[in-house]
Amino acid sequence: MIAPGHPRSIGKHVPRREDPYLLRGEGRFLDDIAEPKDTLFLSFAMSPHAHARILAIRTDAARALPGVVDVYTAEDMARLVKPIRTVIEIQGYRASSRTVLAQGEVRFVGEHVAVVVAEDPYIAQDAAELIEVDYEPLPAAVRLEEADSETAPLVHEDIPRNVMFEAAFASPDFQSAFQSAETIVSETFRTGRVAGVPLEPRGCLALLDHVADSLLFYTSTQIPHLARTALSEILDFPEPRIRVVTPEVGGGFGTKAQFYTEEVVTAALALNLRRPIKWVQDRREELLTSIHARDHIYRLEAAIDAQGRIKALRTDLTTNAGAYSSYPFGCTLEATGGARMIVGPYDIRNYAFRTRAIATHTCPSGAYRGVAQPSCFMAIEGLMDRIGRKLGIDPATVRQRNLIRNEQLPYTNVLGVRYDTGSYEECLRRALERIDYWNFRKQQAEARDDDEVLRGIGICCFTEVAGAGSGGWRVRGLTKVPGFDSASIKVEPTGKVTLLVSQAAAGQGHLTTFAQVLADYLGVKVEDVFVSEGDTGTAPYGTNTFASRGAVAAGGAVIKAAQSLRQKIARIAAFLLDVDVERVELTESKAIDKENPEKSVDFRQVAQIAYSMTSVALPQGESFGLEVVEMYDPPLATWPNAVHAVVVAVDRRTAKVSIEKYVVVHDSGRLINPMIVDGQIHGGIVQGIGEALMEQIVYDEDGQMLNANLLDYLMPMALDVPRIDISHIETPSIDALGGFKGVGEGGVIGAVPAVTNAVADALAKTGANINRLPLRPSYLLREMRRQQAGMDGDRQ
Amino acid sequence: MKPAPFEFRAPTSLDGVLEELREHGEAARILAGGQSLVPLMNLRMLQPSVLVSINHCKELSYIRSEEDGLACGALARQWDVEHDRVAMERCPLLVQALHHVGARSNRNRGTVCGSLAHADPLAELPAVALALDADMIAASSAGRRVVPAREFFVGALENSLRPDEMLEAVRFPYAPARSRSCFIELGNRNHGFAIAGVALQVTFGEDGRCSRARLAVMGGENIARRATDTETALAGSVIDEAIAREAGRMTASLVDVAGDFHADAAYRRELVAVLVERALMQVASGAALNARSN
Amino acid sequence: MSQPGSLRKTDVTLTINGKSYTRQVEPRRLLVDFIRHDVGLKATHIGCEHGVCGACTVRIDGRTARSCLHFAVALQGAEIETLEGLSADGRLAGLQKAFHDAHGLQCGYCTPGVLLTAEEFLSENPGPSEQEIRAALSNNLCRCTGYVNIVKAIANAARDRDKTKADPAGGSRP
Repeated sequence: MIAPGHPRSIGKHVPRREDPYLLRGEGRFLDDIAEPKDTLFLSFAMSPHAHARILAIRTDAARALPGVVDVYTAEDMARLVKPIRTVIEIQGYRASSRTVLAQGEVRFVGEHVAVVVAEDPYIAQDAAELIEVDYEPLPAAVRLEEADSETAPLVHEDIPRNVMFEAAFASPDFQSAFQSAETIVSETFRTGRVAGVPLEPRGCLALLDHVADSLLFYTSTQIPHLARTALSEILDFPEPRIRVVTPEVGGGFGTKAQFYTEEVVTAALALNLRRPIKWVQDRREELLTSIHARDHIYRLEAAIDAQGRIKALRTDLTTNAGAYSSYPFGCTLEATGGARMIVGPYDIRNYAFRTRAIATHTCPSGAYRGVAQPSCFMAIEGLMDRIGRKLGIDPATVRQRNLIRNEQLPYTNVLGVRYDTGSYEECLRRALERIDYWNFRKQQAEARDDDEVLRGIGICCFTEVAGAGSGGWRVRGLTKVPGFDSASIKVEPTGKVTLLVSQAAAGQGHLTTFAQVLADYLGVKVEDVFVSEGDTGTAPYGTNTFASRGAVAAGGAVIKAAQSLRQKIARIAAFLLDVDVERVELTESKAIDKENPEKSVDFRQVAQIAYSMTSVALPQGESFGLEVVEMYDPPLATWPNAVHAVVVAVDRRTAKVSIEKYVVVHDSGRLINPMIVDGQIHGGIVQGIGEALMEQIVYDEDGQMLNANLLDYLMPMALDVPRIDISHIETPSIDALGGFKGVGEGGVIGAVPAVTNAVADALAKTGANINRLPLRPSYLLREMRRQQAGMDGDRQ
Repeated sequence: MKPAPFEFRAPTSLDGVLEELREHGEAARILAGGQSLVPLMNLRMLQPSVLVSINHCKELSYIRSEEDGLACGALARQWDVEHDRVAMERCPLLVQALHHVGARSNRNRGTVCGSLAHADPLAELPAVALALDADMIAASSAGRRVVPAREFFVGALENSLRPDEMLEAVRFPYAPARSRSCFIELGNRNHGFAIAGVALQVTFGEDGRCSRARLAVMGGENIARRATDTETALAGSVIDEAIAREAGRMTASLVDVAGDFHADAAYRRELVAVLVERALMQVASGAALNARSN
Repeated sequence: MSQPGSLRKTDVTLTINGKSYTRQVEPRRLLVDFIRHDVGLKATHIGCEHGVCGACTVRIDGRTARSCLHFAVALQGAEIETLEGLSADGRLAGLQKAFHDAHGLQCGYCTPGVLLTAEEFLSENPGPSEQEIRAALSNNLCRCTGYVNIVKAIANAARDRDKTKADPAGGSRP
């Protein structure tokens, strides 16, 4: 559909348009927006208890502080807003609602109990400290294993046994296949509790337009359109009078793809007090109250044949939902995700799962980059290695035997999900080659028992659910997540092009990549395209930016809109060139006569007619303007796939891990901007390395978070990161427009399992069984010593 | 995360600072580089009512080679000490340890005395001061006293200064001839807070035997500790693998180790043993003196 | 609060990017808030407010420092520089170009701090190794790039500086 003569922009390393202003420090992030002089600032009083009854709240001292305008508690807020209720239409989900300030009871440390409105953020915080709350502490269900029991304290009175969601599935022949197999390999995997921790915490600024009686709401979100709808419903304020604007966002990673209580409070107080209100989160609040993720237990059992092929697989997944179902993805996202994605690139025909989300007295869980995929692939890929160890077959060979073969594609998996295209075998072949796998195995076999360093190699083969359309969200019950995205193209009277997209970037480079897509599909010079997004006042409605969907959903919308608009441009150009419309081709902002390429008119000339700004009249039957809006609903999902392979060295005496080699072979379909794609993979991998080796949110048994600061919540720094060797295979999607498959999450999905497997492989000869995250030296050494003690015991 | 209110004082002389301390006592805190103090104030874990900045006391910013050691005034910044020529030549252990303190921007502003007075259990400089028997010079409006390092550090985040006193300077003894030193630590990350660490200086006799070892270790519980028993055991020995391993084992049994979510106590203890052993082997072999163990 | 301390505002005069600014602030006013909110220079970002992440890096008297760990009142008389100043006078042009070419930034939130760290580092280490660059970057957290392209950009900038030094006319000698 791209004109043959048009110089391609898609596939090129186009430097980002976002860079020049960001490099001068001129990006306008939320807290950079100059607030009006009469702006008031918020500070929240937070619960120090994981679970307690609120007996009394005294706000007099706080109110008396000079500079304090007002203090609100749950009772006050109840008059202004409704509770947040996460609707998920799936069997086994028990809905709960959450008031924006805790009412009667607190359910996690950090939950807001009151909010101060003051003239200055420093004073607001002073006042928040003066709020006195009488609590009656109650027993808390903090750890997943403990909350998941008959005797655990209940997080919500109306949710028995703390089971917020439960679902099960079994394919028709599962039982017989499982029972007839020769060997069963099983393992339990426990992942750590982590968080996205974008470098910019959250924040919002609510401004009133008194003339129009409307609300202008800036918020550091990945979901401006969904946030606007939610705000309207919860505030009971007409949606047309709300404009949500996403400014520059300093990293999202899913953490900002949630709609939060603070957004409601900020907007509600602006409407109530008729004053501008600003709230900027600090890092401690960020770690205490922005969504957490993972904290999963996978119990896997595979029935295998003598060659290591999985004949039947059973997954029992338990996820930690936290105290409330976050909005809009709720507590079911990880539970359904992990159980459904785990079959991955493998030809598994018999499958059963039970999956549950358990409420605990901890911060709500939500969508963090990769969602349940880093954990489910850690489980299945860990199982592949164990199958190999059990049967004495190399784990790479086990994978080769189980992968979906090329000739099986398109392939419908055991859950009825279609993989349109992929390159599972080729990715693995190439990854093994690039990491020099078989040589490594040879050297590893020659390693001596007294070597100071243990080396191991780990592989992760995975598919990624990306670019999901309406069907993909409905099948998981997430009916409040629309699935489509949209693009509005306007060729202006001057011939330059405005592209409005229904997305909201947080560093992904949308202003560059969507210009590239439009340039090729409309036949316009990339520099003639101006891209804007994140403003519900101008951009068309859409689902927004998360779950590796930007390129697929909005890219598809851009293509669809371009295809529709180019016809009109071609018709007007044909009229001007006096040729049949079939002979007109759009390229480099011109319409040319294919059979006589010297004959052309540029977009400006066409636009002048369309906007009636020239002596030539608009051809009969044409409407004025050159403007189109198109919605695009991607398929159920697109399916990027990749293989990560990692070599690690573990110091035998300190158990410190260093990553010596990192290879990625990635297939996310057609690449729009390879430089940006590689950047996404790098960033994801390093978050995955963090999750595998060091990151961990720690609650003590009373539910106190012990590391709500960046000295103690450890994320990788430059010295912790290896060189990363990326190569691409491009197998375009045949189900999605443009062939794009999405790339945001692949890095982290591959990294967690590959690093885990490499460390487990290194320690395998000590007998240690590594199945929990994070792989901190103290854990690894403990496991090595446990084995040693066991062996010493055996000898006696 | 904004600090609570406080009164601010910025005297331009040491006498002025000491006068403020005399007046305000426990309510006052000294602000030097602020790299340990201000995070705690921002988190409101510390809320001093008077903050006395010494940043305008030029007389305290010296790094001076004195007869019996390198003296760092209360305002001597870590980066300056780390790159001081005399320090590099004559106090190698101090310089090696400084490489591990905070990040570059923290060291640009943070002071050596500030870190010592803060007495964090996992801070590098207290371990160095203990190993080397540094002189801690405490000053008050009543006068000066020299406090030996072993008496200065009382516990985690606790020193023996009186409320009206400040750490005016520290004096690190020079490394003797034929000595080598090694500071190593290991953390969950390759940069940042350690799980455990070792400060070691060994003086060798002409026969190649260890004539004097100075060793302090940090393990997270309490403040770093001097391992005098290990030092005694090492004196007179030829440091080889067996001796180093035994010294590690011995030291591990002596020190206080913390078990927390960064590492359990058993790991820390074992790590102390390994780090002591490796530090001794590095010193014995004359290998890279400031290598990190990871 | 046991003792409220002083909420009294005083005149604080700071020199930022060569210009003098006087504002009435409380003693507890953090330098980063003075720069951002009292003066209105927004390139210096806030990431943690406890001195770990490096997003608020500025220069004080010619050296990088965490502006969240300083009180404005304590810095009267000091020379403070921010990305705006270093960017305007062209000192960062080489690094900015290298970051653009190598895709050394994504969301751009850590970038101002990273640039200041890199500038200080390169001015002291003209021909750094990859390991030295990584060690220098321990000054800053980045959550987007995995540091891969930041390391590359700094290495490229070092190489380009080297070339410019060897060939001050920038290759266009008459």
